[in-house]
Formats: sequence, structure tokens, C-alpha cells
Amino acid sequence: MRSGYLTSMLLSLVLAVTIVSGISLFTDRLEKVLSSETKEFLGGDLKFESNEQNIKESLEELILKNSQTSEMAIFASVIFSDQEMQLSSIKAVDNSYPLIGELELQDSSGTYKTRNNPSPGTLWMDERLKNLLSLDYGDKIYLGDATFIFAATIVYEPDRGSSNFAFAPKTIMNLKDLDKTNIIQPGSRVEYNYLFTGSDEEINLIRDTLEKNKNQGDDIESLDEDSSSLGKTIERSENFFLLGGLIAVLLSACTIGISSQRFARRHISYVAILKTLGMNILQIRGLYLLLFFYTTLLTLVLGLSLGWILQSNFINLMDSYFPSELPPPSPYPLYITCLTVLICQFGFIYPHISKLLAISPMRVLKNDIGFNQNILPVFLMGLLAFLLLLYLYTGLINLSLIIFSGVVLFSVIGIGLIYLLLGNSKLGLGAKDSLNLAISELRRRKLSNSFQIFAFTVAIGLSLITFSASQNLLGSWQNSIPEDSPNNFAINITKEDKEAMKVFLSKENIDTNIFYPVANGQIIRKYDRENIIDRNFNITWISRLPEQNEIIEGEWFLNDIQNGLSISDEISERYNLQLNDEVIVQMEDGSIETYIQSIRAVNWESFSPNFFIIGHPSLFEDKSSTHITSFYIPKAKQKIAAELMREFRTVSVFSVEELIKQVRDIVDQVTKALNSILLLTCLSALFLAFAALQDGFDQRRHQAAILRTLGATSKFVKTSSLIEFSILGFLSGILGSVTAHTAVYFLETQVFETVPGFYPEIWIMGPILGMFIVSGLCLYLVNGLMKQSPKDLLNLQT
Amino acid sequence: MILTTQSLRKEVSSGEINLVILDDINFSLEEGKSLAITGPSGSGKSTLLGLLAGLDTSTSGDVYLDGVNLNNLNEEERAILRKDKVGFVFQSFELLPSLTALENVMLPSELKSEDDPKQLGEYFLERVGLIDRKNHYPNQLSGGEQQRVAIARAFACSAKILFADEPTGNLDPKNGKLISDLLFEVNSESDNALVIVTHDQELAELCDKKIELKLGKIVD
Repeated sequence: MRSGYLTSMLLSLVLAVTIVSGISLFTDRLEKVLSSETKEFLGGDLKFESNEQNIKESLEELILKNSQTSEMAIFASVIFSDQEMQLSSIKAVDNSYPLIGELELQDSSGTYKTRNNPSPGTLWMDERLKNLLSLDYGDKIYLGDATFIFAATIVYEPDRGSSNFAFAPKTIMNLKDLDKTNIIQPGSRVEYNYLFTGSDEEINLIRDTLEKNKNQGDDIESLDEDSSSLGKTIERSENFFLLGGLIAVLLSACTIGISSQRFARRHISYVAILKTLGMNILQIRGLYLLLFFYTTLLTLVLGLSLGWILQSNFINLMDSYFPSELPPPSPYPLYITCLTVLICQFGFIYPHISKLLAISPMRVLKNDIGFNQNILPVFLMGLLAFLLLLYLYTGLINLSLIIFSGVVLFSVIGIGLIYLLLGNSKLGLGAKDSLNLAISELRRRKLSNSFQIFAFTVAIGLSLITFSASQNLLGSWQNSIPEDSPNNFAINITKEDKEAMKVFLSKENIDTNIFYPVANGQIIRKYDRENIIDRNFNITWISRLPEQNEIIEGEWFLNDIQNGLSISDEISERYNLQLNDEVIVQMEDGSIETYIQSIRAVNWESFSPNFFIIGHPSLFEDKSSTHITSFYIPKAKQKIAAELMREFRTVSVFSVEELIKQVRDIVDQVTKALNSILLLTCLSALFLAFAALQDGFDQRRHQAAILRTLGATSKFVKTSSLIEFSILGFLSGILGSVTAHTAVYFLETQVFETVPGFYPEIWIMGPILGMFIVSGLCLYLVNGLMKQSPKDLLNLQT
Repeated sequence: MILTTQSLRKEVSSGEINLVILDDINFSLEEGKSLAITGPSGSGKSTLLGLLAGLDTSTSGDVYLDGVNLNNLNEEERAILRKDKVGFVFQSFELLPSLTALENVMLPSELKSEDDPKQLGEYFLERVGLIDRKNHYPNQLSGGEQQRVAIARAFACSAKILFADEPTGNLDPKNGKLISDLLFEVNSESDNALVIVTHDQELAELCDKKIELKLGKIVD
């Protein structure tokens, strides 16, 4: 049992286990920490936003035992110190605040963490507001009719995503103090937030009740709707890790299949002798099962250990991002790894062993007795295992079936095409010269070459998919945050302030982007008023298509027609608004009848103002609005933001510098992890290419020996093999590029949800890599053959 | 002389031990003559054949094939010499399974870039009585038939010397007799020298000359 290709099979299995366990352990822990982070960002498991307080009554009817609620009112108001005044975003919180996580505060005694809300009569503010109001701890502050004491600076608040007013410098107060300020009057713009945590059942119950009772403009948010740049970045990289893992496992599975076939071929005589010596099938089967039991154990131990090291490295790379120690993994990674090994064993190894066990003992007497030629069961088992692996990794039966059918269809067409392309062989081996021999060999071994090309295609194609997915991912991230991308946003800019602000910024040598007019409005369908679009939109009107926006249906505004609205594809999908639908835009100062002129794809990850709805300026000429703009303030000039807000009292400036830095950092770290996955995938591909090549070389070894015995020089045999395998590699490379491009298009449109692109590097790299890698591996194997004398190769006895 | 050896010696190392396979082998063979190398299993017969045909290299001593000292040639030059001057018949036939009988016979002529390998192939297949099986693959032929194809291939080389390693070893007596008769019959029609390694004393007796090996040395 010591002999026979067990090594390459074991190596592939260990590699598969390492990749599967490494990636699943990492993504499992990543998911856990992301879910708790998202939860903290949201402030609970579920958030209900409303402009009214009336939802309380409907919730009181529910009997809830395992959940907690927190109520807060959020509004903007001017706040006064003895010397200054400033617009602030104010959050009034009840005693349950914070439901999740802890606040980090700072006062004269230093920084500390707390799980309480501010005591009545005190306020907490962020650093920026403290500076703008020139405050010291213990100073008096005035909000509406009430007087407060400034108690602490907010260093960190868990529910950062809690407020739509979050752009202005922040104040947190006790909800009990709200009445005495007399700020909230009928018609005041206040947002009431209700946060809930609890068991899944009760959260679902609350959600259902909220859905039934919500009014127009109310919004329900839950954990799975994290659309922040960071959330998307992590989510996409997680998708990529899983894709890389799946690809590496599929590559390893193919290698395992090929190695098993060789292993079984090598053991034919062994099994025949055991049978001749009187062992029955059950005993021999037992022997092989025992062998595979031990190899499974060995690969699991080795692979899991290496997988643990791999995920530790990934975690270390991203260590600085995570606020605390990552939670331990769940048993899921172990389960998925063991299941992968079992599927590989039974799908790709066992069918070959089964064929081996069926070998006739007559083989001892007749050397030409080989395997049963019926390979259908082996194929079917392999395909079933392939489908199971797909399902195991995607968890989606439909997607698995689509990929499976695509791959099978592609294989049949691909192998058929190669078969036809190679053409028919002429009489003789064509050993006149190296080129003739190479072409004749390509044709002569048409069937096995087709399978070999197919294996190389799989290896090259899957590596290219992983490569371009990683490049695409990195490219889209880098594009979304170029070096000088705006790090500050200014909103609430009045028409009067707009020009003065431009002058102010240009004096400071700060380039400004477009000042977008913004007004709040509702969209109503003209002919189907029952079908309500239950939210308000910030609408802008400009004549130029903003960067990072792409028209996917209809036309952007043209000069010579009656122009309408351009809406984002999300809004089109969510509210079933189609091209040319007639709508009414309802605004505070009147309504506009118009139509949907175009649908846009918007890159929400870009750090620029983005809008769901853009109208043509001619429609909104007489509408009142404020403006929003973004600009880049270099680090050395950060004080300008505060100066700007002092100069223009109604304008709010908020910085996204920290967020940009956070996204950039995580992109850098994820890039390193992506490269490791890419490297492992390429390694699996190389294993597969080598196994496929080695399999073909068994047949060539004998031929090379005979040719050399009959007088062919080593150079002749080597050159002919090199030409043959360069052509094989080149063809595989082209097919690999076709595969990769098709798959990348599918992934971009269906999985990563980005705009599909054209990647010339795929078309260049495929054939070149194919040619060089395949011929390089071939050269390595041929050189090995040439080192042996023809006598050894022919096994002449002494 | 077509073939001469001088103090030929072959050693192989097995771990720390050096095994002497052949020692002090001296003989010569005239052009067009036949030689039988006999001896018990493990006596070094096939190793000697490998050295004589330039398939392997000796540890010391010289082999002159058609006046050329094989020791002065590298593997590539020996290959060219084999192509021009040597033909082979093996015990296990060594036909290429993916080629038909005719294509196997055509192979040496193809390697020599001769004008019409097909015509030559068909001529020799006719000569060994297998022209009607020319499109059959080796696995569709019996052992005796495969060896006849191998003989046709060996003669299609237009070689000056033909080496046969146990040509009847894998065949029953009837087929063995047929093959040895064929070998000598076709050989008599050419000027080839013939070197046969065999256990078969009857076959050895048909040769002009005979040497017997025992433990790597010539005893007779």
C-alpha cells in the first residue's frame, strides 16, 4: 500500500481541507463579529423610525417577555453656551439606552465607559460641538427653555447609524428633559426611533405588528440591511473568500479524481494477486476502506491545523479593525470541512476503488485485462459530488443547479469542440520531424487530449476567475475612494450662502464640487394613487449626470425634449417604477407632473453625494431648496470645517475622514487576504494541471522509450512534446479565458452586483499562462524521462 | 567486424553494495553472421544486449559497433547510430498500442524520413504474412502475430545489425518455432548481423556463434 500515487491524492486532499477549513473558520468568525458590529451600529436587532409617537399603542397590545425596547427622539436645534450658539443634532434617550454596546465618554477625570443615559439636567456632546461652543465641563448650556450642565464629551457611541440628523455635531440628553425645553411643538420635525432587541420570534412578532401599523414615511430597519460602505466592502470580500474557497475545492476535487484513477490503475495487479491468493472482495474492500479511513484522519488533522494557521493569519491581518477579540468559531466550519472530505472521498475516490475491486483475478495470467470500460458510474458519482459541493458552499439549490448545468453544458460543448478542432490523424505516427509528430500526437490522442485540455481549461479558467474577481473587487474599491476623494460634506446651504461659501473655500484653496440643490418630496403615481410609495426623498436637479452614475435604461436629459426624472435602479425595483411612468412630485411648495425618463445604477460606496431621484432643472426652477456639496480638506487644514460653520451658521459640515480611513485600512488588509486566497487557488490549479499531465505521461513514457530505442534523439522527443503541450496549453488558455469571462460576467451581475466590465488581461493571460505553465510542467516531466536510459524505460531484465 | 567488445564491465550500485553484472566480456562478430547469448536468468544477458545496442553505457571497457566506439558517443549520438544501424526485437514485443500493425512497422522509416514508409511497411508486413491484418491494433493480434509485426519493424529499419531479446520467450513452442524460423529466414535475405539473447537452446544452435554467460562472465 506504500506505492502508487497516494501522495498526490493526499496532497490535494490536505490542500482542499486547509482551504475549506481556513476560509470557513475565518468567514464564520468574521460574520459573527460583523453581525455584532452591525447590531451595534443600528443600536438593536430592529429599528423603527417614525415622525409620530403613535406606534407605542399598537406595541402595548403585544405580550413580550424576551425583548427590550428603547425610545429616542431625534431633532435638530440651536444650542447656546454663554459665548456661542450652534446648530446641533440632538438625541433624547430613555433609561434603556444604550440597548447594545457601551458609550465611551470623557470628562475632566479622563475617559470612561458607561451603559447609562445622561442624568436629567445634564448633556453630553461630541468634541466638535464642545469646541464650537467653547465649553468646559460643568458649564451651563441652553436648549429651548431649559438650562443644562455640560457633563461629558462623547468619544464613542454605539448606535452611530441611529439618526438622519447625524451630520450636525451631536448632543445626547435624557428623554425626560425633553418636555421642559418646549422645543417639540406640533409640526416640528422630529424623528422618533424605537429600538428593539430580543429573541428572533419576538423580533419577528414586533416587525409584523410594525408593518401592519406603520404610516407613510415610517421605516423599519433590520440587521440584514447594512448598506454602509464598510458593510458592503466586507460582505463582498466575504463572497470572494467563499468563491475562492469553492473554486479551490473544485480544483482539488478534480485533482483527487485524476490521482485516484492513477492510484487504482497502479493497484490492478495488486488486487488481482490478492484475489488469486484467496482474499474475498469484502476483505479487500475492508483493506482499502481502512487505508482511506487513515488517510482521511491524516488529511483532516493536517488540513485543519493548516486551516487554523491560515485563518489566524487572516485574522491577524485585520486585527486592527476589530474593536475586540474575535469570538471563537462555531462548529459549522468543522462540519463543512468534514462533509467536504466525505464528499470528495465518496464522489471522487471511492468509484475508482469500486472499479478496482471488480478486477478479475485472471489479470494475473493475462496482462491485458484492465478496468471495466463502463465509466458512466464513475462520472455520475463525480457529477453528484460536484453538485453536492456546490450546494454545500452556496446553500442555494437554484444557484447550484444553474452553475452545475452551466459547467456540464460547457464541458460537453468544450470537449466536443476540442475533439472536432483537433481533426483526424493521418496514417503513421508522423515521426518525420518534431512538429509533425506533435500535430500527429494531438490528433491521435484526440479523446484523452480533449479531457486533458478540459482539465487545463478548468485550472486556467478558475484561476483567472479568482484573479479577475480579486482585481475587480480591488479596482471598484480603489475607484470608490480615490486619494483626494471628498472627506467633508456640507449641507443646509442656503441660496444666499452658496456663493459666499464658494468664495470662502477658494480663499482657503479648497476645490469645491457641484453644489447640489436639495428639497424633500414625495413621488406619487399619476394613474395608480392606491399604490403608495411610502417614503420621502431628497430630490436634486442638475443637468449633468453625476460621476459614478450610469444610465441603464432610457436617456439622460437631452436639450430638445421635455425632460423628466432619473431614478436609481433600487427605487425602480422597490416601488415598481418603470421607464416612462407618469408621476407627480409632491413638494412643500407645490407639485410637478412629469415622467420617469431614465433609470440609473448608482455607486453608493462612493464618497460623493448620491441621490435616488434627480430631476431636470427646468422642472424645479421655482422650488425652494438648500444645497449640499462635498470637498476635500487636507489634514493640516482640518480647522477650516469649524471656521466654516462659524461663518455660515445654518450650514452643517460633517467629516467622513474616519470612515474613509477605516474603509481604506480594511481594503488594504482584505487585499492581503485576497492575495493569499488567490495564491492557494493557483496552487490548486497547478496541482490539477500537473496531475492531468502526469496522467497523460504514463502512456507517453512507453512511447518515448520505443522512439528512443529506434533512434529518435532526446531532443527530438523533447521538442515534439514541448510543441504538443504548448499547443494544448494555448488552446486550454483560450478556452480558459472564454470560461473566465463568461463566469466573471455572471459573478459581477449576479453575485457581486457590480457593473460588468471587459478585462483584456484575461484574454492575454489565459493563452500565455496556459502555454507557459503547461509546457513548463511538460518540460519537467520530459526531462525526468530523458534522464533514464531507454533500457530502464523498457524494463529490460538483467 | 560489425561488433567487438573489449574488457566490458557493468556495475550497478544497490545501496552501499556495488553489484557486478558483467565482467571482462570480450568477443567479436563478423558482418552478416549471427550470435546467440545464452545463460541462466540473472546472468546479465539482457544487460549485455543493452550495452551492445547502445541502449545503456558500460562502467568500463569498450563496445565497437560497425567500427564506432560507443563509449565515445553521448546518448544523442548513440540514438542516431541506433537509427541508422540497429534493429530490435523484444520479448514483450514493445509495439505502440495506439498504432496499427502497419503504422508500427512504418515507424523506423518515418524516423529516418524515408520517402515512402507505407510501401516499405506493407512490404515487410507481407513478408511476415500479416498484410491482411495491417489495420489491426496490437491488442487485436495474438502474441505470435505481435512478434511477427515486431520482426517486420526490425527489418524495416534497414539495419546492419539486429538485436533480439528473448524473441520467443513469451510464445508457445509452436509459435516460438514459427518466429525463430521467420527471424532467420528474413535475416538470410539481408546482410544483417543478428544477436539473439535466448534461453532456447534450439534457437541458439541455429546461430553461427554462441556465448554463454554465468554470473556475468563468458563461460564458453
